[in-house]
Amino acid sequence: MFFKSLRDRGYTLTFKLADDSSLLLSKYGEFLFDHLIIFAPSVEEFGGAVSVEAITDFIDGGGNVLVAGSSMSGDVLRELTSECGFEIDEEGASVIDHLNYDVNDNGKHTLIVADTSNLIDASVIVGKKDELAPLLYQGTGLIADVDNPLVLQLLTASSSAYSYIPDQPLKEYPHAVGKNTLLIAALQARNNARVVFSGSLYFFSDEAFTSPVQKALGGKHYTTSGNKDVAIALTKWVLKETGVLKVKSVSHHRQGEKTPPQSYTIMDTVVFSLELERKTNHGWIPHDADDVQLEFVRIDPFVRTKLVRKSPGSYKAVFKIPDVYGVYQFKVDYNRIGYTAIYSSTQVSVRPLEHTQYERFIPNAYPYYASAFSMMVGVFLFSIVFLHFKEDSVKSKAE
Amino acid sequence: MRKNSSSYSGWKSLITFTVLLLAWVSGFASRLFAVIRFESIIHEFDPWFNYRATAYMVEHGFYNFLNWFDERAWYPLGRIVGGTVYPGLMITSGSIHYILHMLNIPVHIRDICVFLAPIFSGLTAISTYLLTKELWNGGAGLFAACFIAIVPGYISRSVAGSYDNEGIAIFALQITYYLWVKSVKTGSIFWSCITALSYFYMVSAWGGYVFIINLIPLHVFVLLLMGRYSCRLFTSYTTFYILGLLFSMQIPFVGFQPIRTSEHMAASGVFALLIAIGILKHLQSVLSRSEFKYFFIFASLAAAASVFLVVVILTYAGIIAPWSGRFYSLWDTGYAKIHIPIIASVSEHQPTTWFSFFFDLHILVTTFPVGLWYCIKNINDERVFVVLYALSAVYFAGVMVRLMLTLTPVVCILSGIAFSRLLEIFLKEEDNPAATDSDSDQEATPSRGLYDKAGKLRKMRHEQLKESEGLGSNVRSFVIVGTLAMLLMFAVHCTWVTSNAYSSPSIVLASYSQDGSRQILDDFREAYYWLSQNTDNNARVMSWWDYGYQIAGMANRTTLVDNNTWNNSHIALVGKAMSSTESKAYEIMKTLDVDYVLVIFGGVIGYSGDDINKFLWMVRIAEGEHPKDIRESDYFTDRGEFRVDAEGSPTLLNCLMYKLSYYRFGELQLDYRGPAGYDRTRNVVIGNKNFDLTYLEEAYTTEHWLVRIYRVKKDTDFNRPRIPLSERKMKRSSMYISKKTSKRKKGSIKGKPVVVKGKKPVKS
Repeated sequence: MFFKSLRDRGYTLTFKLADDSSLLLSKYGEFLFDHLIIFAPSVEEFGGAVSVEAITDFIDGGGNVLVAGSSMSGDVLRELTSECGFEIDEEGASVIDHLNYDVNDNGKHTLIVADTSNLIDASVIVGKKDELAPLLYQGTGLIADVDNPLVLQLLTASSSAYSYIPDQPLKEYPHAVGKNTLLIAALQARNNARVVFSGSLYFFSDEAFTSPVQKALGGKHYTTSGNKDVAIALTKWVLKETGVLKVKSVSHHRQGEKTPPQSYTIMDTVVFSLELERKTNHGWIPHDADDVQLEFVRIDPFVRTKLVRKSPGSYKAVFKIPDVYGVYQFKVDYNRIGYTAIYSSTQVSVRPLEHTQYERFIPNAYPYYASAFSMMVGVFLFSIVFLHFKEDSVKSKAE
Repeated sequence: MRKNSSSYSGWKSLITFTVLLLAWVSGFASRLFAVIRFESIIHEFDPWFNYRATAYMVEHGFYNFLNWFDERAWYPLGRIVGGTVYPGLMITSGSIHYILHMLNIPVHIRDICVFLAPIFSGLTAISTYLLTKELWNGGAGLFAACFIAIVPGYISRSVAGSYDNEGIAIFALQITYYLWVKSVKTGSIFWSCITALSYFYMVSAWGGYVFIINLIPLHVFVLLLMGRYSCRLFTSYTTFYILGLLFSMQIPFVGFQPIRTSEHMAASGVFALLIAIGILKHLQSVLSRSEFKYFFIFASLAAAASVFLVVVILTYAGIIAPWSGRFYSLWDTGYAKIHIPIIASVSEHQPTTWFSFFFDLHILVTTFPVGLWYCIKNINDERVFVVLYALSAVYFAGVMVRLMLTLTPVVCILSGIAFSRLLEIFLKEEDNPAATDSDSDQEATPSRGLYDKAGKLRKMRHEQLKESEGLGSNVRSFVIVGTLAMLLMFAVHCTWVTSNAYSSPSIVLASYSQDGSRQILDDFREAYYWLSQNTDNNARVMSWWDYGYQIAGMANRTTLVDNNTWNNSHIALVGKAMSSTESKAYEIMKTLDVDYVLVIFGGVIGYSGDDINKFLWMVRIAEGEHPKDIRESDYFTDRGEFRVDAEGSPTLLNCLMYKLSYYRFGELQLDYRGPAGYDRTRNVVIGNKNFDLTYLEEAYTTEHWLVRIYRVKKDTDFNRPRIPLSERKMKRSSMYISKKTSKRKKGSIKGKPVVVKGKKPVKS
């Protein structure tokens, strides 16, 4: 059912066994696939030319990866997850929840019912979580590096869950307890490649998609679990069908002009406009948001202002450049959970006034103008007087 | 023969002309060592900026130059070049270029820049001649002109390619002094106006104009103290001061400084004093004696008190700026070291050693006091001036190496006087013996001294005609031969110093191997060329400020700091980045948008002027602005030593500058016997050999490792948040040993159902 939903959305699927000796991700430096789905929890070593390095190269090259593990995850997956900033619990460990387990559970309380309230608060990734039925989950727990801003905790376990090997007595403190236990984690790398890791392969199975859900301890009965809806939303996200933004255009110019100048002068009023677009099934459409900000940065932001939406998908900010010259950048840094990161920086230089741009006559200087002209007049008169006086004296002497 | 010739003055002017021409030619020629040895290039650091600015001016015109906002320097602050530069140099060479092109002589602006300083040295020689002639006589003037043409103290700043302000400023200085002396002598407004004009040229050319605007008032003041007030003095100084003040304020960089800073206050004070004295003198002629006495005491007290109060109040109110740091360091040599490390870090601002006095002036050091003594002995208005000039210049030259340059001309003048006087005494005789004497010397001179001694001798021969007073002929010939020998040695010394010490362009290094052959180390240009060809046009290069101008001039890339050290905190930020650990430096470099880091490393070839040797200054400057993060003492060992070997302080061995300098140096074995990682500059094996860079990667290292360029990694280089092995909470059970071989490329899956033909698969 899961793969069928993909195929229905127009993907070409290529299935290979994990230990197939002809596995190949890239050939001659080009990737053969856009996306990679690994549903091989217990693989110990990939066949062919695929290894952890090959997969991480694939991610660094912009490919998206969906991985599902189980409680018997092999080391190679463990290695892969650590490269992405989270870890799988020990081999054999499962998430156990003695309060929220399904009625169909086999007694080990590992088939747990995850409430949709534990889903991440981002409808782009998981769909509308209020309308979903609870999710069925059976598998291992994940731990995320809490310092890491790129890791998204898509689905956490409830506070009564922990992750441990079910058959063994609890001897030491479990690695993952309560809400720290991640069931599904995702990474959106800095190049916007997306990686989703689920600790449970069962989550994507037909069985989970179709089976009814009811918490064993007096829960409400749902005829089908929410797994299918979440899985489809999740694959839409991880395969970059949703939540992909791009900057269509950036432009800036002085107010009243059309084209950007060579350099701005201090105290200019500048108009900055930005157009954002979002990817849908039907191509790129304008993206609307009301929280896009613009920074005008020279080491520190000198101006931080809201980009006001003028028409769908196009934003505009008008502000006055501060009275400080230097090389500035218009920066738009828009990170929202579930969307690709938008970072746009445009460098402009802001120059001081030219020698012709200062005020020609300033009121404070009028006394000086007056004194200068009076001096000139004075010298002129004096020279006339001086000359005539001399003539007179000469005359008088002559007389 | 000479007596028969047409006229005495005709010969005199011919000889003068010849000597000056020869002085010019020899001065020009001896400055060409660098061009001949290397090539016609701009030297050192500051000249690169001057060259770049000149090229910009020639290309874009003067007004665009005046309004030039250079966004490629001091990123991201930018620099207003037109307002922070003395434009005289650029205008001079720009107008030469313009005139030559008007005459259809297509000369590249670079060649004009390279040869400007040698050409101006000839003009300096002529103005020195004129000045000395005003002070003493023509003979002394010729001596002085010859001295200034080849004296190393001046050549050091005016070799071909050393395209710097000083090259033309010394000429402007000398001509201003000449015109000033002339105007004091004549008392004519014409000469004082010319003085002010030439002062204007000086202001436009060099910050050393402050020396003039303090020395001339000092001269006036001392003359007043000596009771030598005259109407001539009054006319010349008042005219000069007013015009000079107005002119100097026309230079954008100087602006309102002449009326707002303390350095210029002496001039206005003397101006007021002179006017007051003028009034008093006038009153003296009007009032009776007793009245005058009463009035004088009252008026002088009132005037002194009011002037003092006004200055104090204005300074307090901030209208007059207090003395600038560079100025303080002139009085207290320890001041800069404590308060302004950026000034102390420049080697030019160090106190002068005795050695360099001899090195730069040779025999003139000893004869200069003699000339001074003659001047004091036969004092008059203008000799007071040269005495003051000499005394102040000696003091300043002792304080700062760089100001040796202002001392050199006065030393030449006074030595010229001394030699001229000496020969006057000892050549006073009947014509014949002296004539043969000098004839024989004249033959010897061109072969050995090569330059201008011949000219000088002719003049001596000529002076001897005037006087006829006797001394023992043995003594006389002994002294003359001795003097000439000293002069010859002087010429040889000058040539030697010029060729060995001052003719290195410092962007091309030469090393001599054991068999005497010369190797050119062109690493700097190699690196700059790499930058200009392989990096983005807007790439920002971080380096220590010494190399800012060169990067801008040769590689045409944006720099963060450069030799125009106007913003101490920005330099301190770069210093902090260099002296922090790599991760902290990365934060700073990210805020400054640095793309590349360039360091100079001399450990391979033993080049001592590299960044590690300058490093303590970076630390000090950084400490001045960021005392919490950087402490100088951290970079020393417990015993207070600065060392890079294994005993060096850990802070030093882990700072960015160390890492960038010595990255992969530990793998390099310079010769078979020595250990790997042996630093030839500091003669130690480095202390921290095997390290990796996280946030930077090596982009380029030149042939002799002199310049190393690193690329700063961007965010996208840290695409995924990898959890390093040591920080993982899950320990891996055991290292998985790959079962793959080159032939069998099948992977393995735990508990994989084995498919056996003919059986149903069993779930494990």
